[in-house]
Amino acid sequence: MEVKVEGGDEFANASYSRICQNIFREVGLHSNVDNVYLFCDPSEHVFVISVKIGRVPSPITVNDMTLRGDNRLKITDEKYAPKLLALLWDKFDDRVKQLSRLEITVDVDAKEMEKLMKMVVYEPREDLNVRILDAVDRILPEGARVRYPLPSSGRVTIIASENPISDEWKKRVEDMVAELEKGGTVRCIR
Amino acid sequence: MYKIMMFSGGVYKFNELKELTQDIGGFILQEMVMQMETMLHLAFPAEEEKVIRNKVKEVGGKLIELPLAGAEIMIVVPSLGRHHAVDPMCDVAEFLRRKGAITNMMGLTRGVGKRIAQMKVEEKRIIEECDAAVFIFGNFKECIEDKKRICDDLEVPYIIVGGPPEMDLPHYVGNIGRRTERMKRKHEIASLEKMVEGLRAELDVRRREIEEDPLAASPLFLKELIDMTIPPKPGEEFSTIIHLDGLRVKLEPGEEEQIRNIEIGNRKLSDICEIKKSLYEGYLLKILPEAETGSVF
Repeated sequence: MEVKVEGGDEFANASYSRICQNIFREVGLHSNVDNVYLFCDPSEHVFVISVKIGRVPSPITVNDMTLRGDNRLKITDEKYAPKLLALLWDKFDDRVKQLSRLEITVDVDAKEMEKLMKMVVYEPREDLNVRILDAVDRILPEGARVRYPLPSSGRVTIIASENPISDEWKKRVEDMVAELEKGGTVRCIR
Repeated sequence: MYKIMMFSGGVYKFNELKELTQDIGGFILQEMVMQMETMLHLAFPAEEEKVIRNKVKEVGGKLIELPLAGAEIMIVVPSLGRHHAVDPMCDVAEFLRRKGAITNMMGLTRGVGKRIAQMKVEEKRIIEECDAAVFIFGNFKECIEDKKRICDDLEVPYIIVGGPPEMDLPHYVGNIGRRTERMKRKHEIASLEKMVEGLRAELDVRRREIEEDPLAASPLFLKELIDMTIPPKPGEEFSTIIHLDGLRVKLEPGEEEQIRNIEIGNRKLSDICEIKKSLYEGYLLKILPEAETGSVF
């Protein structure tokens, strides 16, 4: 993930670059984001963040997170256990029994079991935007509560300020996003 | 003038150290025994330091300076959101506690932003109940310059900490701004040390003022008397907190009258203290100067 911060003084840019890196790592999006561009104008109190969404991991199936033995499933990645149990209870109701923390039995025949193993437990694409917005919210200064999102495909861009966001700023950021989309080097928009 | 230091060592003969401290007219402020380890906060007359040092040498242990001991410090952040917690808010608080201070943390209701940042009158009063305050601001120079106005009217010493290493501001310490990692590297600890030095200098001014116009009784002495009258409840920590010129006492309803009637020499506590309910916690006892109350003995 590439991070570029501009607009503030040298110290602010360096520290916000570190903050961006750390927060995206914390929310687990470090490898799903191609680049982040953050522009800070503390004198006017305007902050612009533009996140380019990269490769999204493929869906997690039952096969990916369990080991199968006849009708028995052993969970290998406990992170997805609640989602798996919810899915199985929904589909098979009381035919599903949780024997221990990581062991489940499902009373189904072999054919149904094959189908079950291919079922999707978690689709990372579903909550990707929510997680990106959570990261953006953590990065942007808390006082910048007036937000203006700029829609574009494959990119999340948000203008934030404590003051109403002027049309001039919107136009400037639109130009900036267009430049970013072209893949050219990002120029400071001040 | 009392000196407050921390003893850290084993349990061997540490009772003798406690007895010696009390014999020379000192006080045990905090005591913690963890299996074979002990930690004591000792207050003793400054001129008796050598006696204590000799005893510590005998029992084997370390005597550590606590530059902020005897002060309650409020750590103020623009909000209690995750932008400021846990780092650097808790790093600052932990470091101040290691230097002997009792710390409280406070998030302002409307402290975020630059133009919109403000402090409510009630918040200001709560901060002024403490001996000093540390304001943690962000990483932008422009924002700190603007936001410093909210601390201008404070009547207690304060330090502003923020990201930019150097700023032309009074009471400012840099390199402690917004961050997402714990402050544990050498240069980060050095910045925290600088902050403690700043606070110590501010508190020393107040200490000198008190020395010039001495209080009717030492807060340490009053703490001892209060703890004897109303013993701390089991499991309760810091039921009585020492301030430079008074105390914060956590009381149950109905105990206030007991406190007022404590006898000190030929006076009652209510004669030498202004007692009022704290906006934050417990009751505040502000000890009046001896010049105002006359001698208590």
